Amino acid sequence: MAHDPEMDRDAVAAAAAAPDPGTAEAVRCADCARSDSLVTDLDPVDRMPIPVEAVAGFPDGVPRAKGLDRRAFLRNGVLGLASIYAASRIDWTRAYEAAVAEGASPANQLVMIYLNGGNDGLNTIVPIADYDAYTAARPNLARAQGPSVAGGRVGSTVMPGTGGAHAWANVCVSGTGNNNDTRGFDTLWGDGSGGAGSDLAVWPAADYTPANRSHFDSRDYWFAGALQKMTTGWLGRWLDLYGSTDNPLQAVSIDSTISKQIRAARAPVSAVRSLNGVEFRVDNVATSLVNTTEQMAPVAAAAVGKGNDGLARARETYARTVQVSRSLRTLVGAPVAAGYPQSDLSNRLQLAAVLLSANLGVKVITLDWGSLDTHGNQLASQDPQLTTLSRALAAFRDDLTARGIEGRVMTVVFSEFGRRVASNNTGTDHGAGGLMMAMGSSVRGGFRGEFPGLRALYQGDLRVTTDFRAVYSSVVSEWLGGDPAAVIPGGPFPLGGPLAG
Amino acid sequence: MSPRRAVPPRRKRTRRPAAGGAQAALTEPMVDRLMWRAGFGPSEADRKRFKGMGLHRAVDRLMSDPRGPAAGPPPRRRDGSPLRPHESDTDLVLAWCDEMIRTRNPLVERLVFFFHRHFATQRDEVSPPQLMTQQNALFRKYADLGSNRISDFKSLVYEVGEGPAMLRFLTGEDSRKGRLNENYGRELMELFCLGVTNAAGQPNYTEADVVEAARASTGWQINDDNPDAPTAFFTQSRWDEGPKTVLGRTGAFNHRQLVDVVTSHPSHAPFLVTKLWGEFIPSAPDAATVRDLVRIYTGNRFRLRPLVRRILTHPAMLASIKEPAMIKPPVVFAIGVMRALGLGITDDTLFNTLRDMGQVPYFPPTVAGWEGGASWLNTNTALARFSAANRLLSLKYATLPTKAPEDEPGETPKQAFARAHAAVGRPWVGRGTKSSLIYYATKARNTSSNDRIARQRVLRAFLLGGPDAQVM
Repeated sequence: MAHDPEMDRDAVAAAAAAPDPGTAEAVRCADCARSDSLVTDLDPVDRMPIPVEAVAGFPDGVPRAKGLDRRAFLRNGVLGLASIYAASRIDWTRAYEAAVAEGASPANQLVMIYLNGGNDGLNTIVPIADYDAYTAARPNLARAQGPSVAGGRVGSTVMPGTGGAHAWANVCVSGTGNNNDTRGFDTLWGDGSGGAGSDLAVWPAADYTPANRSHFDSRDYWFAGALQKMTTGWLGRWLDLYGSTDNPLQAVSIDSTISKQIRAARAPVSAVRSLNGVEFRVDNVATSLVNTTEQMAPVAAAAVGKGNDGLARARETYARTVQVSRSLRTLVGAPVAAGYPQSDLSNRLQLAAVLLSANLGVKVITLDWGSLDTHGNQLASQDPQLTTLSRALAAFRDDLTARGIEGRVMTVVFSEFGRRVASNNTGTDHGAGGLMMAMGSSVRGGFRGEFPGLRALYQGDLRVTTDFRAVYSSVVSEWLGGDPAAVIPGGPFPLGGPLAG
Repeated sequence: MSPRRAVPPRRKRTRRPAAGGAQAALTEPMVDRLMWRAGFGPSEADRKRFKGMGLHRAVDRLMSDPRGPAAGPPPRRRDGSPLRPHESDTDLVLAWCDEMIRTRNPLVERLVFFFHRHFATQRDEVSPPQLMTQQNALFRKYADLGSNRISDFKSLVYEVGEGPAMLRFLTGEDSRKGRLNENYGRELMELFCLGVTNAAGQPNYTEADVVEAARASTGWQINDDNPDAPTAFFTQSRWDEGPKTVLGRTGAFNHRQLVDVVTSHPSHAPFLVTKLWGEFIPSAPDAATVRDLVRIYTGNRFRLRPLVRRILTHPAMLASIKEPAMIKPPVVFAIGVMRALGLGITDDTLFNTLRDMGQVPYFPPTVAGWEGGASWLNTNTALARFSAANRLLSLKYATLPTKAPEDEPGETPKQAFARAHAAVGRPWVGRGTKSSLIYYATKARNTSSNDRIARQRVLRAFLLGGPDAQVM
């Protein structure tokens, strides 16, 4: 190729990183991978099984110049590339190594399901011990005791182990109320003892005090793990301290946007909506002619001037996307489990199960789901969502079990606040003291927080008995690993008992 | 008194340096900047019209051009059928997008879009859809600064709050004396006028203020017996006529008096001017700028024209002119692609791309609209944005006689790049990116016609959908 005077230094380096179109071929050899460890500080390879998915996902992305083997590239090439990648703080090779190293030693994994809008806990778990006060406060909305009345009120089913004080609304227990599913919150709950088969922990009034009834502030506080607006989420800070500096798949929002919970100062994270279309693609251009995803790598790596956060964000995001595409392309077509109810939540949980079991270093998954801001028409709106949620969670648990990873996955369900005890007619306004739950055989099931009762309310709301940050702190200390004080400011926040076990 | 004359005379020239600023002749990158931030990207006609003009003059033109009728014929689907916005939500969205594409004054539609996100109303909670169309027209009345020079924010709040779409969305129609619904009362303060806390972090209002605001807002209902002409009406007996104390002031307030009280709170003006600033400029305004904008806004009785003018002519509009620094919202990005390619709506492609990128007008995710800013870009939306450019390019190719980019057998890689760049409206592309693409064009196979056409497809998709196309 003739020398092009317009080609600046960046472009030369970037071009070196681009695969030669048409000549890139798969490197599927563990020996090559072994040589990598010579130039990095990774563990010796004999303790590092290489997940086939990760290797399969890597080769097209490996910058390969003619006549340069992989080891030589790593020795000679990385230095040359360092300058351009420093701009966006990305180093493909290290990224790959990190993913391999992490995939090799799966740690505990966390799934956070956020119920958007402020779920009404009192119509999910009915306070039977305060039933008179409950029906008086919400005459149009109250659940019946016992079976549902045909064409009338939804009933409720007493939760074992609560001494008859609490009952699940029948729209979320196995059987007729739940579309005849054999599963529901009741089957996850078991006998509520915390022993085997009691795999659902419940905090009936989790929040912060004084509760600020704004969706947006409350949401931001829950996401930040702090009672202030922060640029990072609580899980993002955990990732900054204990996560990977290179693997954006360590925390995945199965959403079109990245959850504020996993926003980090340094750690890369990702959003994946589905496995359809995980590559950059141009219509009518065969991948054999141009691998568009790989062509994007040098384009996204161009240096950005100082102080331009917008362009830096754009280029870095595209670069991260290339990285994610390389990993996820291997999962396209991976089988998903049956047994889920038809819903968007199910589709996303199915993807979560695929990602959690794929040895890609996934540690945290977030999902934002639902429309639970039920100021009006609450029964018609909340009830079907509770049905979907309970069935999908139960199916998710079965899916994880079948994949042999249920024991390492904890699922936490929360919402930004509970709703007012008294109804406003057909709905409920913003309140405090929401329902928080954790699911998994690793979780100690049962009522883990005190129910404050309906007789001593605070400004018409449930009194908050669990600071949500206490649950987060225990997730950090007992599950993910790490120092809660370094992640959740303002502590310590004791939970009053173990979360796991 | 004209709005401009009403500006208090304390303006300091020193705060507005001429260098790179207000009166310097606009260069092409500056014109492009203005037309992206205050529109949906430049056309060649825009470049010709504004190049060499001062920023103040160019902004005056943008604010003075009345909206007028849209250019060209209304859209038709390929089977010849028109859009039916009240029969299909897809068509509802596309009909507004069509306004954005064909408008003669893109600033109007940008402001309509701002109002929609500020007073976010979700179509899935609001039926019939005519209510959304009606609210959109209301926004347009206040956004058309060329026709409505006295457009003011407080009156807009009056009309939005008493409009059927908001009454339905925030369930104000269910709120009556003795059976309050706090939804609207809360959002009026939190989202529309004040924010939860002021700049010092102190709460702007209390829970008691929310209840009192809800009392003042009672009495309104909707008559949508004729869905094509929905109206809101006030029933005295449903209104809570008693005295209320809101933000420290007491009176038997009705909705308009409530809005007067709320907008006279000291946090209102800083809240609103800062938010409007953020629509056009990515860096936060400093304290002096906020004070200046507040003075312009309150000194002109909440009128929008002087405020918009002040923001668009601020030197910060032209900051980082060599490397655009503001992330395009998906709607601005996609409408920009449509306009750059000269595409009209003929099918659902545009709707689908907006959905994938995470911004379907009329369907904000929450009452607070879309978060925006850096949050627009993540590993999912980067794919969606590239795919949007790719799909819209394919639509464009389908309109060509060749059904593909032309083949130019003799062209050099640099010529191939230049042709691709011109074909997509000469968008900004960074030096490193350009070199990278020229290098690609050099290395790409070009022996057959298919090879060369593929090269054009790739170059155009990268220029329209790559990382550099995401900033303005």
